[in-house]
Amino acid sequence: MTTTLNRPAAGKAATKPAVTFRQRLSVFDLKVSPYLYIAPFFILFALVGLFPLGYTFFVSLFDWHLLRGQGEFVGLQNFQEVFQDRFFWNSLFNTMSIFLLSTIPQLVVAISIAAVLDQNLRARTFWRMSILLPYVVTPVAVAMIFANMFGEQYGLINNILASFGVDPIMWKNETLPSHIAIATMVNWRWTGYNALILLAAMQAVPRDIYESAAIDGAGPFRRFFSITLPSIRPTMIFVVITATIGGLQIFTEPRLFDPRTAGGTAKQFQTTVLYLWEMAFQRQNFGKAATIAWILFLIIVLFGVINWLISRRIATSGDDRGGNRRARRRKRPVAPAAVLPAVGAQPPAPSADTAGEPLAGPTTRSGR
Amino acid sequence: MEYSRLRKITALASVASLAFVASGCGGGNGEPASADNPVALTVTTFGQFGYDDLYAEYEDQNPGVTIEATNIDGSANARTDAFTKLAAGSGLSDVVAVEEGWLGSIMEVSDQFVDLNEYGAADIKDNWVDWKFEQGTDPEGRVIGYGTDIGPQALCFNRTLFEEAGLPTDREEVAELFGGDEATWETYFDLGRQYHEDTGKAWYDQSSFVWNSMVNQMEEGYYTADGELNVEGNEAMRAQFDLLASGTLDGLSANQTQFDWGNGQAFVDGSFAVHVCPAWMLGTIKEQLESAGGGPESGWDVADVFPGGASNWGGAFLSVPQSSEHPVEAAKLAAWLTAPEQQVKQSAAANNFPSTLEAQAEIVEAAVPNELFNDAPYGAIFESRAEGVVAQFKGPYDSVIQENVFAPAVKLLDTGEGTADEAWEEALTLLNDQVVNN
Repeated sequence: MTTTLNRPAAGKAATKPAVTFRQRLSVFDLKVSPYLYIAPFFILFALVGLFPLGYTFFVSLFDWHLLRGQGEFVGLQNFQEVFQDRFFWNSLFNTMSIFLLSTIPQLVVAISIAAVLDQNLRARTFWRMSILLPYVVTPVAVAMIFANMFGEQYGLINNILASFGVDPIMWKNETLPSHIAIATMVNWRWTGYNALILLAAMQAVPRDIYESAAIDGAGPFRRFFSITLPSIRPTMIFVVITATIGGLQIFTEPRLFDPRTAGGTAKQFQTTVLYLWEMAFQRQNFGKAATIAWILFLIIVLFGVINWLISRRIATSGDDRGGNRRARRRKRPVAPAAVLPAVGAQPPAPSADTAGEPLAGPTTRSGR
Repeated sequence: MEYSRLRKITALASVASLAFVASGCGGGNGEPASADNPVALTVTTFGQFGYDDLYAEYEDQNPGVTIEATNIDGSANARTDAFTKLAAGSGLSDVVAVEEGWLGSIMEVSDQFVDLNEYGAADIKDNWVDWKFEQGTDPEGRVIGYGTDIGPQALCFNRTLFEEAGLPTDREEVAELFGGDEATWETYFDLGRQYHEDTGKAWYDQSSFVWNSMVNQMEEGYYTADGELNVEGNEAMRAQFDLLASGTLDGLSANQTQFDWGNGQAFVDGSFAVHVCPAWMLGTIKEQLESAGGGPESGWDVADVFPGGASNWGGAFLSVPQSSEHPVEAAKLAAWLTAPEQQVKQSAAANNFPSTLEAQAEIVEAAVPNELFNDAPYGAIFESRAEGVVAQFKGPYDSVIQENVFAPAVKLLDTGEGTADEAWEEALTLLNDQVVNN
């Protein structure tokens, strides 16, 4: 009896194809593994990115004392109070001012250095390594040395100025000089680094374009502005974005420029992050500090979006032009060298000689 | 052969370390430290503490104890360090040095610190000058800090500069010049004006230190004894502020950066002739002189006089946080470091003035001259300056008011950017921004 009762069940099992462990494993591998592979990033991001962000927002809704801890729920009152605080706007102004004073000269100088290093220099590696040297020095050491140099009464710079009969500059007590001093530190540290990145981009520009341009009579400046700069545009955007994020978060330099205060006696160079720090660890108001952190986060997001929009515009317009060029070339394959880069990129064709530029073809070829 | 032996050793080592972890790294179980039960104690101090030799001595006397010391450059950074770690709920050393200026904040969370009464504080209570011991006791009567040093204030002056200006140079005559026991701030500023007129030089380094001294001297400072803010409408304080403002605006301040002084340059180049000197300032000046290549020949001396009477500025405490894993050993170390015998040694090493009566008496008696300050008998001078000091109530934001409210306000006077009224208004605004409506 028992056997007859059992038989159908056994038969059923036999008709269904048995799923082996191996098969199940491969299904699992197919369906789940990809998620596991990307999981570390998301878990880490949730842990050290998303959670702190959310928790900071939570803290910002409370009266939260550094030492006494969580207090009353106050809603958005902290945000309202921070927006009314004159030192918040002061810090924002200082941040923007230092950011502009550091980013613009830095990019100009970095591009010039990169352009020089892009030439055929003797001991190339030596020059390239030496411009990176400031980047290797820790920011704390940089800040201490520069703070010393920019001392008002005993600093090197004011001493030199004095020997020329110039009045000492109040590097720490006046707003603009203090911003220039701090921007100098930032520039000193980051110019070489950015120059190397831009140099790498410049080296990726095909050399024959320059040759063709030179043959067409473009001088070094024309070549630089019409070939080099447009070609390294994506890298420039990258450099600008990283400089923006770094510039908005500047802390070490102003903090150590006058280590006794949180950004100058009258907050002449208190940046937003320094204001946040003062709020948390001197004024001991953790709720407001969290609020500032969130506002700063939103500002950086805003800047990120602006950057993204601008860069997308630049990138697509660049592509369009390239596309048009290609289209034009396709339409008129034997056209005279109307567009410089196109000539170099084209396979050497006998038509180049007939197009009225007898030298272009042969030189390009022999140059290779 | 070689390989398998190595593996055996590795296995043994891992078993041993597991056992070590299982036993709670030793010491945590309340047993006293010994060679078999080693304990590593961490200590955080700031500025000039002079403990290095004492650590070594303690380690010799107590086998099994190792001390890992950290010294932070100044009190303000030590405050940030301690607050950050208190807020984080971990990371504080087993023994933490707390400055008088931010003791008020610490008192708000005094339950985060071990009650030293549980480790015999009552038995050694009488070691200290009474007000120092009281300062370290919270409103519930828990003792959370043993006093290390106190900061009775004397007046430092530069002999060379005084001589050039035709002023007396003998420290007793200088004390008389300022008015001896009757010395007032008015005399101090008037002498300064005379000096400035004769030499064209500044009288003091910057206004903030003078201001701290004036406030510390009052019976009630930034807070009343009941813990209420005591700045707005405080006429006595405003009168002192005006006194300082008129002196500073007359050019008596050298507008130096405090605790920087051009890396000590200002102490050797004759920038200013007098300096307010709480006992621990001698250690600070010593460090500055060393940094600038100065020495006894730089001409600094210290006189047994202080404008406006007795004043105490600063002084520290050693506390044991609740987060310490070895509270017994930590409390023992704190008690030992602050015992009279060790305070005498600390005083010699750090040039500060002890807070225990026995140590004070010993220093006065030993009368070791301070070479850097023209062989001044600093023990006797500061013992005399400590007479009549009353402990002022320090509120939770005392150090913030000192450094973030009044320091920027008097800086306006130093740079000549503001009048007395403007500077006072700025102080009130800053106070409202940063403390009242914080």
